[in-house]
Amino acid sequence: MDLAIYGLINSLQLALIAIGFALVYGVSRLPNFAHGALYILTGFAAWSFLSGMGIPYLPAIILSLAITAGIGAAIYQVVLIRVRGMPVSEIIATYAIGLAALEFLRWAGFRGMTYTLPAFIEGSVTIAGVPVDLQRICIIGIGAGLVLILTLFTHHTRVGLALRAIAQDERAALMLGIDSDFTATIAMALGSALAGLAALVILPLGNITVKAGYDVLIFAIAVCVCGGLGSWVGAVLAAFIIGYAQIITVSYIAPHFHLVVALLAIIFILIFKPSGLFARQKELEERV
Amino acid sequence: MAEEGPRRRERLARGVKVRSDTIYAVSSWKEMMFLLGPRLALIFGLLILPIALSGYWQSVVCITGVYALLTLGFDFLANFLGLVCLGGALFTGVGGYISGILNSYYGVPIPVSMLIATVGGALICTILILPCLPLRGVYFAIVTFIYPLAAERLIASFDIWGGTDGIVGLSMLPNIWFNQYLILGVALGCCFGLRRLVNEDIGLVFRGVKDNDQAIRASGMSITWYKAQAVFIAALMGCFAGAYLAHRYGWTGMSLFAIDFSILPLAATVVGGAGTLAGPLLGSFILVPISEVLRAFGTLRIVFYAIVMVLFIVFWTEGLLNYFRRKYEEFEHWVRV
Amino acid sequence: MKRRGKLLIGGVVICLILGLVALPLMGVGCKKVEKAIVIGCPLSTAFLYGWDAEKAITLAVEEINAAGGVKVGKKKLPFKVEVMDTRDLEPGVPVSEALLVVEKLILEKKADFIMGGPVRSEAALAAMDLLSKHKKVSILTTGALTPKYHARVAEEYDKFKYCFRISGEAKWMVGGEIIPCLLKIGEKHDLNSLFIMVQDVAHARAGGGIIAKIMAKKGWNVIGKPEIYPTGTTDFSMGLLKARDEKAQVILIWMDMPETSILLKQWYDMKVPALPFGSIIAAAEQPGFWKATEGKGEYCLANVVNAGNAPCEATPWTMKFFEAYKERWGIEPEGYGTSSSYMAPYVLKDAIERAGSLDSDKVVAALEKTDLMGVYGRIRFDPKSHQVIPSIDPEKGAVGTIFQWQAGKRVVVFPPKIAAGEIKLPPWMK
Repeated sequence: MDLAIYGLINSLQLALIAIGFALVYGVSRLPNFAHGALYILTGFAAWSFLSGMGIPYLPAIILSLAITAGIGAAIYQVVLIRVRGMPVSEIIATYAIGLAALEFLRWAGFRGMTYTLPAFIEGSVTIAGVPVDLQRICIIGIGAGLVLILTLFTHHTRVGLALRAIAQDERAALMLGIDSDFTATIAMALGSALAGLAALVILPLGNITVKAGYDVLIFAIAVCVCGGLGSWVGAVLAAFIIGYAQIITVSYIAPHFHLVVALLAIIFILIFKPSGLFARQKELEERV
Repeated sequence: MAEEGPRRRERLARGVKVRSDTIYAVSSWKEMMFLLGPRLALIFGLLILPIALSGYWQSVVCITGVYALLTLGFDFLANFLGLVCLGGALFTGVGGYISGILNSYYGVPIPVSMLIATVGGALICTILILPCLPLRGVYFAIVTFIYPLAAERLIASFDIWGGTDGIVGLSMLPNIWFNQYLILGVALGCCFGLRRLVNEDIGLVFRGVKDNDQAIRASGMSITWYKAQAVFIAALMGCFAGAYLAHRYGWTGMSLFAIDFSILPLAATVVGGAGTLAGPLLGSFILVPISEVLRAFGTLRIVFYAIVMVLFIVFWTEGLLNYFRRKYEEFEHWVRV
Repeated sequence: MKRRGKLLIGGVVICLILGLVALPLMGVGCKKVEKAIVIGCPLSTAFLYGWDAEKAITLAVEEINAAGGVKVGKKKLPFKVEVMDTRDLEPGVPVSEALLVVEKLILEKKADFIMGGPVRSEAALAAMDLLSKHKKVSILTTGALTPKYHARVAEEYDKFKYCFRISGEAKWMVGGEIIPCLLKIGEKHDLNSLFIMVQDVAHARAGGGIIAKIMAKKGWNVIGKPEIYPTGTTDFSMGLLKARDEKAQVILIWMDMPETSILLKQWYDMKVPALPFGSIIAAAEQPGFWKATEGKGEYCLANVVNAGNAPCEATPWTMKFFEAYKERWGIEPEGYGTSSSYMAPYVLKDAIERAGSLDSDKVVAALEKTDLMGVYGRIRFDPKSHQVIPSIDPEKGAVGTIFQWQAGKRVVVFPPKIAAGEIKLPPWMK
């Protein structure tokens, strides 16, 4: 029972972390290596609003998400738009932006363990004899809700449909008058906001540290690679596989293999099935 | 500027450049110097460094040499084969550990252990990377980026080879002068050796692998075989750098797999001018000392080189060396359209 | 746009080149105003165990200089502190970085002595060879707890005689402090089952293993092997559930990472009926811990290695140091290396004055004869291994401190000689 509940929580955490990355890559083939930095930036922004300026909780959250979305869009408009189509440059540019942001935060003094976000709801409940705190229940709720909302958004709204069109066949979509740069900007903004949302839900469990930004990036990559880059359904499924694999390893083998599981998952999946477990890409396209 | 009308700039190769491209290069001192000048400047520039600098900066020369080797390997793989390898740290780690283990546990003397580490390490790295060779672009970059992280975690998890403490008390390379000239010599040798290599027949195949691997396959050659060779060459340099670093300070440990060894070469390549081999070499000789100067600012220096990297990628993709080479070989003038 | 970008970069590059050219000139430009004894501190300043050492060393040096400096033979010279960031506590930073900093301090800043770090065990061990190469006396004051450090000095005395450590080390902490304290808790509250969680670093693994062995011999029920967590873990729920299901009564934590605050938050949220006992627990050492965990970390015990890092009356000097630190930096001493870093300049001053010179070999000989009453008891070095001699009695040696968080305060509960309160159990354990 422990395993089932905490495995679910862990998986949904991973899904939340990865879904933004998956969305951006899925729509515009952009590997957003600044993902981890955006995650942490949102955390610190929310912290500054809450503790620094004393803004109430809900506006602080909305503000920090808006800021992150803005930064995401700006990254695309200022930098990525110029290097689009060169995957290597995209990786380098986004990673460098993330690196700069994270290390700047570290330099600016955001270090130690005193930076925390308050939980949405305090307290804990006991489910089937397992104590779970309410914040983790929130993760389950928000994670599941997000998956649902994204599905609806991409199937039933104009913008969402445009995103999917671009993802499936860019050339045809361009002919139909869907602007590729516009959708990519939207995707970056959305993806960044999703990274931010993940941060706001997950960070209250612990504290905000710069280092977590790097870990989040690795987990996002792990999940997306296993699920097949560019497929967000795959990402969610892969999050469950890795999430449960991690929890099982931690409880039956040893906790220090926690990260190794994710890393080895990436390596093996890429070697044996480069397009990921659930992607439907052709042999030729695999050789990106 | 009495002429009216729109104008544009035109670039023309200098006469001396055109002449020295052919057999006429040996026609006079001028042409020969035109060709040799930049090359000699690089060689002597690097060889003078240890004499010109003193004390602690000589140590910086050594560490820069290590990064230079990694950068060369990165540039070679990325811009001649299209394999963006973000796993330079894997090479240094494997090289350093092999040499350290041999030297410390089995008492193998430095020259032998470094040689085994270089060749054996390169073999091991090549075998490790072999399964990912069919991958390209983002996928290859991600998987190689993950390798050193995984290696580090595995060593820590299994608590082998000194675990998180590393292996201490290896023999050290003799004095600072030997240290500097060894690494500079190797770096220069590798730089010119690689430039030679990519202009040979095999270099053509390498470029083919990058630009059109289907054509290579159609010619009945195995892409993977050529990629493996190239990875082996890059790994040779990386593993040597790792082994050298281990014996420079008499210590080897997990942090030889540090991300810095993967990232800095990337920045140096972008700054120096991708695809020129000499450019990235210069790039690392610019970036590493600068980051050393900025040490007082703590992590701000990482911010600095990350920003420099973005600026170069966005506004000045050709990098320094390509830019200067253009200025050196061509002149510009205005023509009326 | 393109041209503007190029101009921008061109400008940046030109500035940098000019800067590079100017640097050596600047170096020539600054003449030494007066001769000072330079103390080089290679510290990882972005982390608790770096910045607390930096603050403590600075404070001690300011006090010494205000009192007239150090008497070397007939002259009085001031100390001068040169701190440099080694980044060695950051994951993903090569140790060669830290070693380069040590070299920079010695060769460029002309440090006469090295003090403080490098902090991470891996880097501290690697630096020993460098120090012996340059024949520089170094006093390690924080961070590295590995017993390997002074074992190496004892093994190859002639080579490593320049290395001293004034802070505690893992072996004594286990045998002299943690085990007795655990037994005391066991007797008092009738507890006898132990669950061990350690970080994935050598000293923690070794320490956790030894504690497990000894406690099992003492008749305690030790659950499982020590659970090992990688540095930077942010989720401890599975381990805590295991502790709860297997009826652990004490959870021993040995981790020097800030994420330990998460561990205690989770412990509180799950109401795990076991007492958290931090043999090394980075987060709970700090005064800011109470606020960071919204008070959820109450009842956590933490070992701060040397007295003076939490308020107590070990020696007359302890509270004096504590108050002076608070006044100078506006915060109480935070990490386990604070009081030991503060003592290092005083010990060095004392040794230099007795040696009457700055010569490394003479200072080593003088340091070996050190015997002074410091912030955390009597400070003497073992002449063979250069490790500070520990004790549970401040009259006999360097004392450690174990405190418990009670109602927002750090109350010292061990050793008995300096204790200010009693160990309490959380209400959900009764």
